[in-house]
Amino acid sequence: MTATSEHRATYKQRYQDGDPGLRFQDLTYVGNFKGQEPIPDGILGDRMIRSRAKSGVLERVGKEDVLRDQFTIDELNDLNNYLAWNIWDVLVMRATEGVSGMIPRQEYEILAFMHEFYRWPEILRMTTDEVGAQGIMDIGASARREIGTKVNAVHDWCIGAVGFGMGRCGLLALEAIGPDDYIEESNEILKFMQRVLWGKRQDGYILNSQDRYRCRIHEQDFLDSIVNQVEHFEPDSPPHQAFTRFNAAAELLSFLDHYDCRLGLGDTGPYELADGKLLILRDLFVNEEAFHWSDVCDDQGLPHCYTLALVIDPDLMSLEEIRVNDISTTFTRPKNYISAIVGGAVFAREKWNTPMAEVYNIPVADLGEHLPKVQNATLKLYQKTSRMNRRDLIWNGQYVYYVDMILPHLRLAGTYDKACKDYQLWEIDQRVSNYYYDITKRGFAQVTVPQKIFSGEGYLPFSDGADPRRSKYRWL
Amino acid sequence: MGDVLAEGYNVFNTNKSPEGVIKYLGAPQDVIGLIQSGKLGEHILLVRGGTTTFLAPALSMGAIGVITMSGAPESHLGILSREFQTPCVMTAYLTSSDSRYVVGETDDSHFEEIARELDGKRVRLDCTDHEVGRVVLAD
Repeated sequence: MTATSEHRATYKQRYQDGDPGLRFQDLTYVGNFKGQEPIPDGILGDRMIRSRAKSGVLERVGKEDVLRDQFTIDELNDLNNYLAWNIWDVLVMRATEGVSGMIPRQEYEILAFMHEFYRWPEILRMTTDEVGAQGIMDIGASARREIGTKVNAVHDWCIGAVGFGMGRCGLLALEAIGPDDYIEESNEILKFMQRVLWGKRQDGYILNSQDRYRCRIHEQDFLDSIVNQVEHFEPDSPPHQAFTRFNAAAELLSFLDHYDCRLGLGDTGPYELADGKLLILRDLFVNEEAFHWSDVCDDQGLPHCYTLALVIDPDLMSLEEIRVNDISTTFTRPKNYISAIVGGAVFAREKWNTPMAEVYNIPVADLGEHLPKVQNATLKLYQKTSRMNRRDLIWNGQYVYYVDMILPHLRLAGTYDKACKDYQLWEIDQRVSNYYYDITKRGFAQVTVPQKIFSGEGYLPFSDGADPRRSKYRWL
Repeated sequence: MGDVLAEGYNVFNTNKSPEGVIKYLGAPQDVIGLIQSGKLGEHILLVRGGTTTFLAPALSMGAIGVITMSGAPESHLGILSREFQTPCVMTAYLTSSDSRYVVGETDDSHFEEIARELDGKRVRLDCTDHEVGRVVLAD
């Protein structure tokens, strides 16, 4: 199909100065900006919330700013407000999904949030001490020449948005901490996030939403080597069906292996190709060796990651806006981009540390051999999961968040083993262990915390005169 | 168009209009049982949540259509049904009832009423509208 007046993409208008973007939802955000005009989602929302910042931390910042060890209180509050809006922007509609029927996700999430806020700071500090601030930025930069890496938008975002933002929000809601507790630790988490993301993007921004929802991080020569292996096909043709079906099945398993969370999926792009088509690079982590339940994926011989290159014809779907958001997920208007996929390639990375030179291409014609393995692993993992008791499901899920969100960074820094051995990463802090009994009372996990997190009301600011060195010294 | 029994968010616009008997799935064992029965392709699946894991094997093995009682296209099940190109209506409510799902405020009677009214009915899904998906009584 060729572009006609009826099929003409308008998405490039979204990249023009002053364009407010489309609204993907009807809701608006208030957060800490009570009495001011509510903030919408998307490009306009980003612009509005940045205009209310007191510091320059949400604009393009230089390397020297990122290497500096300490944020000011204004910078911390600006990051707190921006992350709170960003969380709302990407998750408020997802959060309507209710009970799982399979995995108590809200329960494991809130435990992980709080565990991360307590435990991550000293582990991230140790990692920074081991490799230096530049070393943390280099970990981010490594993603520019790799596929199948978990140093990606969602993991990097989670360090700050989840470990700091939601973790602090949950503990504030539980009244376990006050607004001016753990400021030093908050700084530690947010600095780590900023360094990884800045090193990865290298355009001065840290988040995709600051760049009109683009995550164009890969070096051009690396991208070219991917694009050269793309196979082209017609929509609804047998190869199109084989490719999209494999994409869906592997994506589903990546979600299931990560306990119904987004850590299994990593999109980058959109990259505009020479012929005007758009490229999305999608990592699908279908076998994470850190999880003991991934043994069923081992049994099927699945690699750590399948990476799919999706080539989308923007004219074919009359594309109006495309967002690769900060949890590595692509959304478009119109919504159905699958039918506009006109080319693709599939790659496999056997282990998380398999060298790029050993990442191999799987021809679309051969996907029929891989699909049954993915489907079998999905059914086996489902059966295995359905037999687990509630406590096991909650703590397994907690580990997916608490460990996996920083796992890729610790692996590349060479500090994962040290974190396990010397910092007892896989032990559960007694405070969080006790919260297990509190979170089901009075709807704390299913109502109170989601309301605080997704309304933005729970991200209380640090006081203007607070000491940036402050930890928590009193339990009164 | 026939009688519209329920409406909700349309996950993605498509001309596919799957038809089948609605089957309410309340527990993982129901999902496994349906797959093992070999009759997955005869049913439109009705579930309470909008998460992915609960329906994982059914999606992977070729579910033809899904109705949920909560969630949105941005939910994991919404994302995956789009990827599978499986028509999906989310946060469906009965057109004959005033009861609507509100996060954190809806009790079980809302979900039980929808399951009771829809389970066993032969319907087709109309997902041609950009925003609204419809559950239509089949002729």
